[in-house]
Amino acid sequence: MIRVLTTLAVLAVMVPAIGQAGDVERGREKSVVCQACHGPDGNGVGDPQYPVLAGQYADYLAHALRSYRTGERQNVIMQGFVATLSEQDIRDLSAFYAAQSGPLTDLRDLK
Amino acid sequence: MKPIPLILSVLAALATGNALAAESDEGRQLAYTCTGCHGIPGYKNVYPHYHVPRIAGQTREYLVAALRAYQSGERAHPTMRAQGESLSEAEIEQIATFLANHGSARR
Repeated sequence: MIRVLTTLAVLAVMVPAIGQAGDVERGREKSVVCQACHGPDGNGVGDPQYPVLAGQYADYLAHALRSYRTGERQNVIMQGFVATLSEQDIRDLSAFYAAQSGPLTDLRDLK
Repeated sequence: MKPIPLILSVLAALATGNALAAESDEGRQLAYTCTGCHGIPGYKNVYPHYHVPRIAGQTREYLVAALRAYQSGERAHPTMRAQGESLSEAEIEQIATFLANHGSARR
């Protein structure tokens, strides 16, 4: 009985963690609608009002998308897009952009 | 154009040029504050739990818009709101310019 409970407890901890992983390739497929502003790989289309997404932390991107969804962040364009996204879509898109290469970096070596 | 207005506009242009040149040093000094959170790779916001975003190499325009949104309270992150409120419009521009120019070389 204890062993069963332990197994269940371990699974309960692990399953949400597995569910949280985004799929880069599925994210790429879902990113088509984002390309007009954010470019094919999240490096934009030359209009600097749109942020670079390539190489950003996946969990920050997911947080931003959820913030648009709740209205905590106000942006008419983004609000329209996130309304169509599931939690899994958000995780996949975030994983895709985080996996792309771009100029974003942590602010290191500042003297 | 008459001579005096001409001289004045040349002086104004020179002064603007000097102000722009001075911006990078100012921006660098101002951006030092940002490194407390944005300079530590992997550093995480406590609640909700997510990585503090990479901001070096971001577009200048987006950074200006973000800082203004924190300043006005439109974006609600407590630490960033406090930072935004402490900055003048000129300082926001200087920080954004500095950060936009200090991305990684890979593209």
